[in-house]
Amino acid sequence: MSRGTGAGYDRHITIFSPEGRLYQVEYAFKAVKSAGVTSIGVRGKDSVCVVTQKKVPDKLLDHTSVTHLFPITKYIGLLATGLTADARSLVYQARNEAAEFRFKWGYEMPVDVLAKWIADKAQVYTQHAYMRPLGVVAMVLGYDEEKNAQLFKCDPAGHFFGHKATSAGLKEQEAINFLEKKMKDDPQFSYEETVQIAISALQSVLQEDFKATEIEVGVVRKDDRVFRALTTEEIDQHLTAISERD
Amino acid sequence: MGDSQYSFSLTTFSPSGKLVQIEHALTAVGSGQTSLGIKAANGVVIATEKKLPSILVDETSVQKIQSLTPNIGVVYSGMGPDFRVLVRKSRKQAQQYYRLYKETIPVTQLVRETAAVMQEFTQSGGVRPFGVSLLIAGYDDNGPQLYQVDPSGSYFSWKASAMGKNVSNAKTFLEKRYTEDMELDDAIHTAILTLKEGYEGQISANNIEIGIIRSDREFKVLSPAEIKDFLEEVE
Repeated sequence: MSRGTGAGYDRHITIFSPEGRLYQVEYAFKAVKSAGVTSIGVRGKDSVCVVTQKKVPDKLLDHTSVTHLFPITKYIGLLATGLTADARSLVYQARNEAAEFRFKWGYEMPVDVLAKWIADKAQVYTQHAYMRPLGVVAMVLGYDEEKNAQLFKCDPAGHFFGHKATSAGLKEQEAINFLEKKMKDDPQFSYEETVQIAISALQSVLQEDFKATEIEVGVVRKDDRVFRALTTEEIDQHLTAISERD
Repeated sequence: MGDSQYSFSLTTFSPSGKLVQIEHALTAVGSGQTSLGIKAANGVVIATEKKLPSILVDETSVQKIQSLTPNIGVVYSGMGPDFRVLVRKSRKQAQQYYRLYKETIPVTQLVRETAAVMQEFTQSGGVRPFGVSLLIAGYDDNGPQLYQVDPSGSYFSWKASAMGKNVSNAKTFLEKRYTEDMELDDAIHTAILTLKEGYEGQISANNIEIGIIRSDREFKVLSPAEIKDFLEEVE
């Protein structure tokens, strides 16, 4: 068995650098950014909305197969930002875990429990050498019976936080700055406002006016707890509302 | 994982006899948020900074102080995700003890088991050490107890201790303030003052956490409202 010696070895598997950092994990965050898309999530008073860019690389592709929005259960959605292949593997496992949970305990898996499960998996990849971390940041959304609207973000380092609003991907920091201003005094957005703030946040940081086919929007509402992706017609209505407002 | 390519230990002796991975893990702890604990005559207090990365984070979704059993609580400095792993393993250990003996696990035993896990991760194949130090507070037949466990798996019982950023300042502060006959309420005040001393910015009921255990043997994490009362008392 051969192994590298001394300097640089910590760049290959997850062990501590002299500054106490884990390079592999930091590179996983870079991988998320290098996918080139930005995602936004906003939590309203009784709804949650996530938005991401939809970049179809080839006209001949069936555009419905290009997606970052995944239902985990009927009631929980997951927006994956980063490497799509890693995302699909994670989604597959998360669906399995959520189904097992429903079978074992007789009720739907709560959003925070799923978020913790995803984060716990991510933690293992930061401590054990046999697997690399996933190049994915997952936003998990759903409506909790006790805690109302829920939006969680799970990252490759194994952190998971509930958010009032958040962002992931290339322009994450710009988007967070934008959202911090909007969410400062706990605005309690209605459903329409939630969706429109999320879309306009993305438009603002990318300095771009979207067509309805260029973004994906996922929502969960108090009145309709089923996670679903908005149709292009619905997105179009919101885009029109945003441009008329401005 | 026996026949894996990575089945060798990642923590190996350097030519000078040091285990550098453990030292690096301690560096990770040292750059983490400050936590501290004080053992009083009639109880124990543990406290920590709770700085969140953004105002967008829902502070109710974060709880840094956790209970392991009804009469034992724990706090960490270092890497949050690693802490969750240790909490899960320790709780399981405590339950296994209870199942076997129908008695709650003594603090010393839970500390030893938790430390053993941390030691294992410095010697097993294919894993790095934990990037956390723990402060474990409990109250059992042996009275109030406070332990600190480090990534190496070593542990000591303390009258008062601190870890994370500003350790040395916090420890000097605690050394000055600590007295053997200190009551718990006094210890809570000292804990708050120590955190305040090294805190970058203004401390409030929402950006620190406090956990206490008294002779009723019920470990409790204080709510923001309860912390607020103590904050007003120290001012």
